[in-house]
Amino acid sequence: MLNIKELTKTYASGIQALKGISLEVRSGMFGLLGPNGAGKTTLMKVLATLLEPDSGAAEMNGINLIVDKHGTRKMLGYLPQEFGLYPTLTAEQTLHYFAKLKGVHDKNERAALVDALFDRVNLTDARRQRVGGFSGGMRQRLGIAQALIGQPQLIIVDEPTAGLDPEERIRFHNLLAETAGEDAVVILSTHIVADISSLCSQMAVIRQGAILASTTPLQAIDQLRDSVWEATVPREEIAALKSRHQVISSQMFGGLARLRVISKGKRPSAEFSPVDPVLEDYYFDLVNQRERAS
Amino acid sequence: MKSPARTPFGAIFQNEVRINSKRIAPYFMTLLCAGNGLLWWGWGPATGHGWAVNADFFIAGALPVYSFMTLPLFTALFMADPVLKDFRAGIDPLIFSKPIRRGEYLLGKFFGNFFLLTCCQSAFVLTWFVLQAVPKQGVITQDWKVVPYIKHFLVFVVISHLTLAAFYFAVGVLTRNAKIVYGLGVGFYPLYIAYQTVLLNSLPWRWKLALDPLVMNRGGKFHAISAEVMNHLVVVYETDLIVNRAVMILIAAICLTIVYLRFTIAERPPKVEELSVLNLTAGAGGFYYDPPITEPLLVERFEAHHSREKELLPSVTRATAGIRAQLYKLFAALEVEFQLLFSERSLVVIMPLAIFLSILEVAFYNIPPDVSHSAAYATNTAKLLLLFLIGITVFYTGEAMHRDREVRVEAVLWAAPAPNIVLLLSKFLAVLSLTVSLIVLVGLAAIIIQLLRGHTPVDISAYLIVYSVILLPSIVFVTGLSLVLNVLLRDKYFAYALSIGTGVGLVYLYNQGHNHWLYNPVLFNLWTFADLSGEGSGRILIHRCYCLALAGMFLGLAHLGFRRPSSRGIRVDGKLTGRAVALLVTIVSALMSLLAGIRVSRW
Repeated sequence: MLNIKELTKTYASGIQALKGISLEVRSGMFGLLGPNGAGKTTLMKVLATLLEPDSGAAEMNGINLIVDKHGTRKMLGYLPQEFGLYPTLTAEQTLHYFAKLKGVHDKNERAALVDALFDRVNLTDARRQRVGGFSGGMRQRLGIAQALIGQPQLIIVDEPTAGLDPEERIRFHNLLAETAGEDAVVILSTHIVADISSLCSQMAVIRQGAILASTTPLQAIDQLRDSVWEATVPREEIAALKSRHQVISSQMFGGLARLRVISKGKRPSAEFSPVDPVLEDYYFDLVNQRERAS
Repeated sequence: MKSPARTPFGAIFQNEVRINSKRIAPYFMTLLCAGNGLLWWGWGPATGHGWAVNADFFIAGALPVYSFMTLPLFTALFMADPVLKDFRAGIDPLIFSKPIRRGEYLLGKFFGNFFLLTCCQSAFVLTWFVLQAVPKQGVITQDWKVVPYIKHFLVFVVISHLTLAAFYFAVGVLTRNAKIVYGLGVGFYPLYIAYQTVLLNSLPWRWKLALDPLVMNRGGKFHAISAEVMNHLVVVYETDLIVNRAVMILIAAICLTIVYLRFTIAERPPKVEELSVLNLTAGAGGFYYDPPITEPLLVERFEAHHSREKELLPSVTRATAGIRAQLYKLFAALEVEFQLLFSERSLVVIMPLAIFLSILEVAFYNIPPDVSHSAAYATNTAKLLLLFLIGITVFYTGEAMHRDREVRVEAVLWAAPAPNIVLLLSKFLAVLSLTVSLIVLVGLAAIIIQLLRGHTPVDISAYLIVYSVILLPSIVFVTGLSLVLNVLLRDKYFAYALSIGTGVGLVYLYNQGHNHWLYNPVLFNLWTFADLSGEGSGRILIHRCYCLALAGMFLGLAHLGFRRPSSRGIRVDGKLTGRAVALLVTIVSALMSLLAGIRVSRW
């Protein structure tokens, strides 16, 4: 289990990126959901030993992630949000290099591991190609392959599906799901709600450097059961409905608007019908509540 | 009428100039050309013969030689990939979807790069022009002149390189392979020398002049005529020369026309199709198949891949602690650093250039034997090579230190359990190996020249002593210094500027007589071969220890200042942290350099 306690970080520019983050993360896939600029990447960098926090602690399997950087790196697999690889090296040379840096010295074991990784990320055919010629999806898959080297106990993937096409995104989801089943803590940071709902057994919502909620996707959706409503209304009624109800989304078509609102335990009006809540509803409801409270 | 600057040609021309102005090569070339001009002015043949440095004949005689030395390599470097880089960066569809004609695009590319190349080349004549105002003992200067510089530069340099540039450009565009052009650039010297000696040498003078692309054969017997007469000579271009230049321009035009006719913006098909050979019957030669028909669709392959039972990754043994494990990681990192360093395309130009200029004197001039011929050869090449080694070390250390950030691999690399010293030392050793390989190549070339010129016997130990005692410790020092500068300044251009400024300042001070062992770590102008074997050898060895101790201190400081976060404190799990070891190394090295420095300061 990964325990994070009161992590704070303020950049030299004065931006307070982390405001006392505390989390308990069990084995399996953990989703960290938040908009751009919420502090996700800062938190990921602190956990990946690449950034010093101002205060706070993080501990996993008896290792202090903040103090013992080398010890942390021994159990870490990290895929950053934006990364590159040496363009003149082939995919095979790249994986062998990272395997050596992670201490996999036995040549036969390393070759077997690299073969299995290429198979896992479906890059066997491209293993002898230079990385400089890879597409975004291929590079991302090679990135996760290097993160999986050496049975890491803590895997951090920061916004891995941003910029991928739908097919690559599904492929990547499957890859992460396979990875999470191997007794590791996998932290997936994303601003795409669908990534969390299809992959994670635990999740937290982060906004403006603070954790708004830590729960499971099922519990989150259950909280909104019988509270989400949808109706198709004329465009001119939108303003009035927005003033009375908490509108999550409005979609225009042919002079009409399809509104999705949250109204706990009560039908907003006759034209609204109940719909099954999704994780996105929970996220918007949470954010709206916090905004109203502040 | 529309201004040319507002046409698509003008836009491409300006863009090429803008892009190239962000590369290091133009600045390096400008500095080299200006430095070359300075040497020719103050220490060139004019000073020995009483010729005026701004005499018409001297300018016209020197420029073809200048045009021959080093410049064809830079022409190849500039003209190899102007079009190719658009295809490589994937900008080609954005450009070709605009209303732009093929000719405008190609001419904009060609002349944009050629203009910049000419600007860099002109640093030589500009330096000469400015130096007319500088008095120096032994340098004769006539009244101010402007026209001869422009006229002769255009005739003897620009036109020659226009043809070369058009040829390189045509090869680069049509093959879409920059390496072929670099190969031609490197191959220019042997080809040109062979052309001169085999073909032109036997021809009458007029033909020699007409058929020589660089007009190197134009020079007369200047040494037989008095300097007084030569200085008042007005150069007139002969008909043969005018024909030669016209033919050169015509060849350039033909090259550009071929490019225009053959250039296509279409994507090239993949190089090789998959080939299967049927071995069942003797008559079956082979058949091609179309991959989309026989291979399953990507989606099907994807589904098939994920429908099978999931396999766990094989477990592996990991060694992440102990000296042996760290050494293993160091070798792995070093191997990759080697690959990355040797894939730097600028090496194609810089290495041959450094070798060529380092052996220039021993190859073409009479070197008076010192203790022996080998000692004289080793000493001469070491002195010339040293400046190149310093430049190469500063430049490639900067490249190696900032490459990880530039290709954005830093986050992935820094999250790996490799200590900071592995990441730093691999770069340090890779640059050191590059310079050592250059020293070896120059040494081999010098030995071959020594044998060819009949200056035998060859004494290998003389080369070994000079290179290992003088060059190697100096390079270790410069690499260490560059490493720490790049770590602390965090900007390679700042580090380059500071290194160049400090280097130039120190050389100036040394030449002004302020040359002391304490602040001359590379022993510039402080040694002769006799010092290495006689009584002075102890002094040089102490100085080398001083130099190496300073390098050790720089490495320690670089480790301490490295941006990658490292474990806090002195000890973790009962073991010293990397930071603590670095601090210890820094203190010990600083003490050693202090002790050696005190000794050195008394000399």
